[in-house]
Amino acid sequence: MKQDKIDVLLNELKTSGASAWEITDRSETGWEFYLIGSMLDQHRVRDVNHVRLKVYSEGSEGKMGSAEGELSPMADRKEMAETIASLLSASRYAQNPQWTLTPPAKAPESVPTACPEVDKVSADYLNAVAHMPRDESADINSSEIFVTKVTRRILNSEGLDVTDTYPVSMAEIIVNARNQAHEIELYRMFRSGSCDATGLQARLHKAMRYGQDKLVAKPTPAVGAMDLVLSTEAALEVYRWYISHLNTAFKYRGYSDWELGVPITEEPGGDRLTLHTRVSLPNSSRNCRFDDEGAWTRDMTLMKDNVPQAFCGPRQFAQYLGISDSFIPGNYAVDGGSAGSAALLQGDYLEVVEFSSFQIDEVSGDMAGEIRLGYLHQDGQVMIVSGGSVSGNMSDFIGSIRFSRETRQYDNYLIPAVTRLKNVSVAGGPDT
Amino acid sequence: MRAPFSNHLNEAAPRMRALIDMLGEDFEYVSILSTDSVGFAMRVSPRVKRLSRETMTTERGHVVRLYRDQCYFEYAFNEFDPDHIEAKAAEIRAAFDRQREVLKAAGIGAYETACLPDEPERLDAAFETERLPETEDLSLLAERFERLARQGMEKGRQLVDLTLSAQSTHICKLFQTKNRDLRQSYVYSEGSIAAVASDGNQVRMAYDGVSGRVGPELFGQAYEDKLDEVLKISEDLMRAERVVPGTYDIITAPDVTGLIAHEAFGHGVEMDMFVKRRALGAEYLNRRVGSPLVTMHEGANCAVDVTSYAFDDEGTPAGDVTEIDKGILKTGICDALSALRLGTKPTGNGKRENFEHKVYTRMTNTVFDSGSDRLEDMIASISHGYLLRGIDSGMEDPKHWGIQCIVSRGYEIRDGRLTGKVIAPVVMTGYVPDLLNSVSMVSPDREIFGTGGCGKGHKEWVKVADGGPYLKARANLG
Repeated sequence: MKQDKIDVLLNELKTSGASAWEITDRSETGWEFYLIGSMLDQHRVRDVNHVRLKVYSEGSEGKMGSAEGELSPMADRKEMAETIASLLSASRYAQNPQWTLTPPAKAPESVPTACPEVDKVSADYLNAVAHMPRDESADINSSEIFVTKVTRRILNSEGLDVTDTYPVSMAEIIVNARNQAHEIELYRMFRSGSCDATGLQARLHKAMRYGQDKLVAKPTPAVGAMDLVLSTEAALEVYRWYISHLNTAFKYRGYSDWELGVPITEEPGGDRLTLHTRVSLPNSSRNCRFDDEGAWTRDMTLMKDNVPQAFCGPRQFAQYLGISDSFIPGNYAVDGGSAGSAALLQGDYLEVVEFSSFQIDEVSGDMAGEIRLGYLHQDGQVMIVSGGSVSGNMSDFIGSIRFSRETRQYDNYLIPAVTRLKNVSVAGGPDT
Repeated sequence: MRAPFSNHLNEAAPRMRALIDMLGEDFEYVSILSTDSVGFAMRVSPRVKRLSRETMTTERGHVVRLYRDQCYFEYAFNEFDPDHIEAKAAEIRAAFDRQREVLKAAGIGAYETACLPDEPERLDAAFETERLPETEDLSLLAERFERLARQGMEKGRQLVDLTLSAQSTHICKLFQTKNRDLRQSYVYSEGSIAAVASDGNQVRMAYDGVSGRVGPELFGQAYEDKLDEVLKISEDLMRAERVVPGTYDIITAPDVTGLIAHEAFGHGVEMDMFVKRRALGAEYLNRRVGSPLVTMHEGANCAVDVTSYAFDDEGTPAGDVTEIDKGILKTGICDALSALRLGTKPTGNGKRENFEHKVYTRMTNTVFDSGSDRLEDMIASISHGYLLRGIDSGMEDPKHWGIQCIVSRGYEIRDGRLTGKVIAPVVMTGYVPDLLNSVSMVSPDREIFGTGGCGKGHKEWVKVADGGPYLKARANLG
């Protein structure tokens, strides 16, 4: 939103009777390309500005009300006043115990992320994707490329006013592999800051190799309980479950029973997890230096050797927990485990490299996923399998989880390259 | 009353028409979809209360679609100078030229597509609603939610949180081309109760919801009716056991039936996937894919729920397609550009997440038709199996016809009777034709559910509704 309009909005807020307010002004220039094979399906541009307004009112008995909504960047003074009045009225019906908004603070010394222009990043993606080698056995079916330059400014009634510009990009790529009898597809979603052409092409080549294996996969046998090895992006679900349990909102709402200084499990035998927040990771799409509430992010250890060190997350819930200086992390890093990847790939196990959708419910810890491609290592033999599912609950795994010394980055997460969960339930399935 | 049309869109309409005229000098086809949808979302639990004027579908903006050199280009924006619309036309032309330069440098040519027709048409559709979200008195709802949340926490066992949610959205859309002016206005609402229980060893969430193409009047007695039901589900989940993986006779409750419809032959016959050869369905038209008891419909007109609109985001009128007729796959659903490429007719299923997003072929209401078998007879026919209720999530696989449905819970049936034993959660997987061919009984009743969202792959979230009757089938559970 242009500064002259921001000034009008600030004046309206100051005279509205609101006890506090926050403005998030987000401008995005997005370039999008949709390809079928290497041909252009269509191309798009987004040029948008979203202004989100949160208005607070004095409540009763130590409470404060709040309500939020979006304000059109074309709003005139009258519409601004009406929107503020509407939110202020609504805020009285959503009263929570009081908390304070983010105060202004000295900017950290971290360097803002370089933000290349969208045409340059788009060209990098187009050259990387459209010119991937293709032959009779494997190729790119279709791809969607999204390149965005984001400028985000947050202001609040405490005097906070921070701005950052950073790149966000995403590529959805469908890989086909075929033999004389069948054609199969594998789905890939890449998220990052700008284009990492080398990394993207390497992962696509790997997907093509997986595709050839899927063509000859046999139905997953009903093996009962077996160790599950995750060596792809699916493993993020495991570490996100840990992260959610260290979130202030999650803790305050009673969904996490973890306590600071108390080990999350008494079971010996597994690797003990150490988890940090990071201001930035190389080429992450979350390298904005401040969070959604305008607080500067910082490097911090959330868990050390399975012992929670800090809860971190939305300021409101942090203050309810007695934490005065919290933030919403953008990037996370998990330390590597005690053994190398090769040591974790021993004995009998099922390594699943393609799921329909691998999910771990952050509240219940229930884990589930249909197997699209896996490698069943049993009695010294390797069987390529497809179909059936894995299931279990995280609470059954955290005492015996193993993860590799080597780490791998997936956008805003740095996690162990190989994760091994013990005694996961495996249901067999038909050949699809 | 009929939902009124947006004043903002009425004011923007002549400016957008002027923009169409200006761009029409350089492009063979120009359309503009303009949106202005408002609403509210309220969440109340004993621990946290939240009120927003934003829902999943609130938005205000415009998207221009242009055609030149046998290819389409779009430009989405939400800011312009009403007195200098020619400046926006110049911006759009410049953006088009810059992208074409980058594409040319990368050596990427067009997937040639014909120009969309532009037959003259005018429509002003406004659907009935008793109340509007923008004028709803939220104080009454907030007080009621607080009271019910307290009651629920007192009545429920082992509860750590109980959240009541309501959201209502007044959708207004304007679609214009040189020869067309289509306007629609309607309100949809949805609500839910979610209870989280913990016994120190496990945490479980129970959930139920309501939806409809109606205003906030939907919230009338809905929560009082649902609260005890959710508390009962919570107790069932807390005593649930793990299923022994295997293949079982199952009965799917209407919500699970809807999930199967959605994941099996909802995504499987989205015809933009036919264009990319990403769906097996293209090769199975007029072939058997299910038992003779399986008939399935799709379309904004085949039911009245959260996504029952008058026209889609490309200006195509809402439809009602019979996808599967007595087990035979008859046709799919199609957006306008895919229809041009496939030489078929669009079915009114071209949807955007919002004005900023591309159109894809998307579902609206996806439902199995009813049959004549009583639920009691279905249960009596099973020696060992499960009655599956409640949905968590699902995943499509149109290329290989695999299916993944994560179901909230299953009630054991032994020797023709429900035993009272519960399993949770349940991962139902299988090969779609195997699952649909195994359908052996279908009940006469039918319900439709519109509280969920649907992604394409892992993005592009839109509202959908799906449902059907009870089905007896056979599936892999894990």
